[in-house]
Amino acid sequence: MISIRRFQRGTFFLLPSVIFVLAITLFPLGYALYTSFTNAKFGSPDVEIVGVRNYAYPLYDYRFYNSISVTILFSTIAPLVQIWFGVALALLMMREFKYRNVVRALLLFPMFTSEIAVALMGAVLFYEGGGGPTNGILKLLGLPEVGWRSNPPTAFWTLILVDTWQWTPFAYIITLAGLQALPKDMVEAALVDGASKLRIFRHITLPFLAPVLLTIYFFRLVDTLRLFEIPFTMFGGGGPGITTETLTVYIYKTAFRGFFFGEAAAQSFIFLIIVLAVTILLVRKVRRFYA
Amino acid sequence: MIITSIKLPKDVFELTAIPFVQFIPSFTTWYNEVVVGWPETSKALFNSTIIGLGSAALAVFIGSIAGYAITRFQFQRWKNIDIITWFFSLRILPPISLVIPYYALMRSLNLLDTQLSVILIHSVFFLPYAVLVTFSAFKAIPPEVEEAALVDGASRFQVFRMIALRMISPVLAAVFVLILAFSWNEYLVAFILTSKNAIPMTVHIGATTTTIGVSFDLASVRQILAFTPTFIMALFIQKHIAHGLTLGAVRG
Repeated sequence: MISIRRFQRGTFFLLPSVIFVLAITLFPLGYALYTSFTNAKFGSPDVEIVGVRNYAYPLYDYRFYNSISVTILFSTIAPLVQIWFGVALALLMMREFKYRNVVRALLLFPMFTSEIAVALMGAVLFYEGGGGPTNGILKLLGLPEVGWRSNPPTAFWTLILVDTWQWTPFAYIITLAGLQALPKDMVEAALVDGASKLRIFRHITLPFLAPVLLTIYFFRLVDTLRLFEIPFTMFGGGGPGITTETLTVYIYKTAFRGFFFGEAAAQSFIFLIIVLAVTILLVRKVRRFYA
Repeated sequence: MIITSIKLPKDVFELTAIPFVQFIPSFTTWYNEVVVGWPETSKALFNSTIIGLGSAALAVFIGSIAGYAITRFQFQRWKNIDIITWFFSLRILPPISLVIPYYALMRSLNLLDTQLSVILIHSVFFLPYAVLVTFSAFKAIPPEVEEAALVDGASRFQVFRMIALRMISPVLAAVFVLILAFSWNEYLVAFILTSKNAIPMTVHIGATTTTIGVSFDLASVRQILAFTPTFIMALFIQKHIAHGLTLGAVRG
């Protein structure tokens, strides 16, 4: 490349973003790190350094462990369900049918709805008083009503259901892009050789899609870990009880309900470490796409 | 699941209708929201637009410069792939870990409840999209044209602005729209940083949650007002969505 000798010029091009990002992430991170060692409280002027106390507190808090398990369970199950549905949808959308383009476009809809709107929409759909649509339909069919948002084990699955509704399109559209790049001659050759559709999917399509699916999993994992609006709004701050209290909700409550900024900052760092630990393995694989 | 989305407008009119689809349509809520509450709603829509356009413009502007740099220059100290990973890692950073310092930062800068504060944060959050998607777009164009221009005496920046940027303009537009939509839909940061004058549509929707419950009727009208623009925007960039959402990792 011609540019090797002009390396300073490149730095000049890169500088605005680097400075901008550092100013807006590094400073806050440093500030948060400092805060995590103090007893900072909202509106309280005297701030003392208290050492690692804030990091020790969560270790004695069962709600902290609960939020970790909720988060990890959710982030493991939800992306898998979404990939499953996404692949199925993408395979379906590869077929020719009338109004296919319209359907394809409509499928994008949930993904571009803001999470806060989805949360409130979910609250309406799974409303449990008179007139709640989902229970209304169940009642019509003569089925027992379900405690979508009030029954602890069910509420967790409702959370997964809502997230799946919103983000299956993400898995779908990326799988679709992957499928469109699938070399057709390979499939045709296999068909000529008499391979069944299932075998083609298992031995050609799936291995071909594997890196794409991994990418989807990676992005969904990162986003499910940070999910906040739906458990916070739809489930009234992680309810019933603490069944849907994810780490983000827990941290938010410590910071803006209890106003313990110091503790919340320490929890944020523990959260950050968890996120980094979970994603660092996957980053290596996804990073290969750019090389 | 798609059906539920189509059903949404009906929730607006009647929540207590049993069983759900049986109701008397009434435009009272629409009237309350669009006519009576218009000063607030229009302000929220306006703020969302400003914040969205601002963060998209800022992110795409500095992001494309960086994306170009990683494509066309070889860096020595840190390898290009490290720089890419660094930008990529910004996508992983959970916003909740940063909102408290952001609150403190904006308070000390006297920027709380301004559109600028949200623009600054959003543009950093969505910068990885701008950098990495433009990076993979720049990589796809052959360097020969640019080299010719360089030989003819054009400066690097001129080449970037007049040739490279123009060649990837469709991708650039798609990233711009994508970031605009993301920023439009972002809730947490906007919720923490704004309180009265700068509240965008998402926070306006969230504001229907009160201590006595949620005003679902108002919420639904606001939801429809809020998602219509993003959905229309999404339609325009359909081709680029897969590419954009994975930060250029998967080709659309």
